[in-house]
Amino acid sequence: MAKKWGQQIRNWMAKKMDLPQDVAMDLPRITMIGQIHIYIENHKGLLTFTDKELRLLLKQGQLLIKGKSFVIKTILPEEILLEGKIDQVVYINENQGGAK
Amino acid sequence: MKNGWIEFLFGKVTVKVSGRGIERFLNILTRNGLLIWNVRRHGTETITFKMRLKDALIIRKFARKSGCRIAFLQRSGVPFLVKRLLKNSGFLIGIGVFFMLFLFLSNVIWGIEIKGAKPATEHKIRQELDKMGVKIGKLQFFVDNVEAIQRKLTNNIGALTWVGVELKGTTYHFQVVEKNEPKKPETLSPRNLIAKKKAIIVGMYVENGQQVVNIHDHVEPGQLLVSGEIGMEGKTQQVAAKGEIWGETWYKSHVELPLNSSFKVFNGNIEEKHYLKIGNLEIPFWGFGKSKFKEYETETNEHQIQFLKWSLPISIENKTIREREEITRNYDELQAEQIALEMAKKQIKKHLDEEAKIKDEKILQRTIKDGKVILDIHFKIYENIAIGKPISKEIHE
Repeated sequence: MAKKWGQQIRNWMAKKMDLPQDVAMDLPRITMIGQIHIYIENHKGLLTFTDKELRLLLKQGQLLIKGKSFVIKTILPEEILLEGKIDQVVYINENQGGAK
Repeated sequence: MKNGWIEFLFGKVTVKVSGRGIERFLNILTRNGLLIWNVRRHGTETITFKMRLKDALIIRKFARKSGCRIAFLQRSGVPFLVKRLLKNSGFLIGIGVFFMLFLFLSNVIWGIEIKGAKPATEHKIRQELDKMGVKIGKLQFFVDNVEAIQRKLTNNIGALTWVGVELKGTTYHFQVVEKNEPKKPETLSPRNLIAKKKAIIVGMYVENGQQVVNIHDHVEPGQLLVSGEIGMEGKTQQVAAKGEIWGETWYKSHVELPLNSSFKVFNGNIEEKHYLKIGNLEIPFWGFGKSKFKEYETETNEHQIQFLKWSLPISIENKTIREREEITRNYDELQAEQIALEMAKKQIKKHLDEEAKIKDEKILQRTIKDGKVILDIHFKIYENIAIGKPISKEIHE
């Protein structure tokens, strides 16, 4: 549901705001609520999960989230909701030597 | 997980997974459509998460391939609750029995209170109640309703003028009014005795006062019979005249009695039906089907079920259906005459004092017309004709 809604929003934004069609490029959409929640759509799988680190596979590269006392509230094939104290959100590009 | 209630309803399980490649295992699970939430890591090789009971049943299949070990830690939700409830079904039965007992005890008569009656009358009432089955410890369903108890009590006990019956919870309250309240002392103010009817005096018994008439005298209504003034002339003294003056009086009575009459009677055939009534819905549990009587009358007796002091909207209803029959009564002329005479006597007696006697009766006229016997009867009656009349002050002065 949320995914559909998100896609609709993206489509609409792309059209109305005259953005390039990056929607079709399968980029992740990340929503954060302060430091405590992070919601990532369009990920391609879980790579690492500890209570201090979460690493997600993206279509291009990886997403690394660092913080404290992480709990995955929900995990679906393309969505994940993480709870805890988030300190950093880092994109790791493949050509820079990210682990895979 | 939008709403935890659905998961609660179908049951959820906390799963512990340990081993290597836990992340890969999680990916496999999610891609296969298994819902996972509250994933936590404990140490390097262990995570715990919650999942639906339905999914937990098939998780082993995936675990085998990935080489992770899984263990179920905590089970919660309705399926497990039900399981536990069944295991401890003694509790359930206990609760059920408790409520049944309460319901039962709420419908038992626990007290009979009689107010306003003398001990003797109270004893009589209690005996009568016993006969009716109104006893401590009886179920209210098998007892007549309040109106019937009231009717029966007033009919069966002569000493009662009125009895108020009230059912409060489990106690019957009777408010009694007795017929023979303490008699007021007779007023002893000076009075005369005068005749109340036209009569011929046949007997006298004067207790107090100066008699002014004699046997065989003919008196008119209002005529002085016994004077309250006694003593010599000039030195008179006023007393309350007291006594009985028996006079012969006459009455005429007119009765009509049809020779053939038909009326409806109950022939004693009854059917009983029992219903459980919830609101306005009647559920029969004894006595099904339509009545086979052609003509009948239905008497309904309803008992509401009590719970503590509240009445539930559930009641037990008994219906008594009595068959009615029409019968025709035929008299020949002689019989009709006799019965008409009896009727006339009864009618006359209603108007007379209890002491009055019917001395003689004479049929003045007898006609048979339109299938009816018509009688005009003349009664000769002996009765007390004296009534008191206070001597007014004006006359005295």
